[in-house]
Amino acid sequence: MATKAKTQTLEDKLKRLEEVAALLDRGDASIDEQLAMYEEGMRLAQECRTYLEEAELKVRRLSGEPDESDD
Amino acid sequence: MSIFVPMQDQAVSVSELTYVIKGLLEEGIGDVLVSGEISNFKQHSSGHRYFTLKDADAQIGAVMWRTRSLTFRPEDGMRVLVRGRLSVYPPQGKYQIDVSAMRPEGVGDLHRAFEQLREALRARGLFDADRKVAIPRRPRSVGIATSQTGAALQDMLSTINRRYPLLDVVFRPTLVQGDGAADDIAKAIIELDAAKLDVIIIGRGGGSLEDLWSFNTEVVAMAIANARTPIISAVGHETDVTISDFVADVRAETPTAAAVLVTPITVDDLLEALDERMLGMTSIVRTRIDDMLETAESFVDGRAARRVTERIHLRQQRVDELVSRTSRGIQQHTNRMRQHVEHMTQYLTSLHPLAPLRRGYAVVERNGVVLGPSGRVQTGDTLVVQRFSESSTVEVRTTTPPTILPPTSEHHGNEGENSNT
Repeated sequence: MATKAKTQTLEDKLKRLEEVAALLDRGDASIDEQLAMYEEGMRLAQECRTYLEEAELKVRRLSGEPDESDD
Repeated sequence: MSIFVPMQDQAVSVSELTYVIKGLLEEGIGDVLVSGEISNFKQHSSGHRYFTLKDADAQIGAVMWRTRSLTFRPEDGMRVLVRGRLSVYPPQGKYQIDVSAMRPEGVGDLHRAFEQLREALRARGLFDADRKVAIPRRPRSVGIATSQTGAALQDMLSTINRRYPLLDVVFRPTLVQGDGAADDIAKAIIELDAAKLDVIIIGRGGGSLEDLWSFNTEVVAMAIANARTPIISAVGHETDVTISDFVADVRAETPTAAAVLVTPITVDDLLEALDERMLGMTSIVRTRIDDMLETAESFVDGRAARRVTERIHLRQQRVDELVSRTSRGIQQHTNRMRQHVEHMTQYLTSLHPLAPLRRGYAVVERNGVVLGPSGRVQTGDTLVVQRFSESSTVEVRTTTPPTILPPTSEHHGNEGENSNT
């Protein structure tokens, strides 16, 4: 778990961003609704950017446990 | 000096003597690593293997119990390297090597063993295409089984870090060459498979055929075949081919290539896609506003309206500049856009053609085009006069200079009032 993650994961945000972009693209909303979507989309995109730019590799280690192999 | 020197003329039993010999050999020699040629190889129905290890001048018996895993099929004449313990078998008064591990020694024998195993596994269908499991389009987690100290690990980690550091990496330090390596690799595969990851990489850097031998063993092949997780085999360099490459779901030419395979979509790809999205959304909203602007322009003509559109155009130009900068610029751009639309809405309301009509003014059109303040009307023109309550078509008889001077530019085509039918 990344410390920065709020309730939404990166995947959630990317998914929502695609939805918003698709809705915007459909173009049947009022200008006010479009602007609200635009704002949400931009906020999501910016959050994803920050998250991606700050990502660092973490490696978990699996130690060779005592084995009960049955060969 | 010997522990067995008869002190007196006192006989010992055969068993007693054998017991002493056993102690001498087993304690005194113990673990051995012997190189020799196999002869008289027999696999008993019990599964235990008996054979003789020999060279030009000597030979020694050897036994390899069923429970010891063999990484190839021994044949008479093969040169092998054997690890084991010297032991004495009292019922027959024989000493022999209790073999714990054995592998072909000569390059020719290694190749022969390789071919043998490859054919055997192929015949069992382990290389069949329909056994292969695809790597997920965008893996979230990867298990890595390789040596902790090898360059392969560093290569893979730095590649993953550069391309997609969000990948959840589980590393299982694994013995990749020498005695016990084959078993440890197989065990690592089983453990990583149990960890339910999206994909597993097994591998190591380049080395001699002997160095890579653990990846040419049946125990590793079976572990790969039995795993549910897709496995990438990344052993040695481009030209090295191992049995694990055939059984694995995907063969990578090098460990670095494997790291690329598990990070098909990079952070840079995602950032680029995000930028594209942001620009796309911006252009949709901007186009919408442009459309509104055009509608406003089609309603009215005149300097006041032109001034409004010029101001809006100036804003749009700034918006364009902002967009082409960083995404933070795009954020600001959002706010400007909103401001811009609020202004626009106000102007649109005030410029709506119905507003003056309600106050008794009329709009004059010629050929469907609204006549502005500078529009010249000539005798004989057919005009359409739009009033609040009706629209009429009129023909111009005479034109004269204006009798009422407009206060300023606030002037909405009321010249039409001068004309009569």
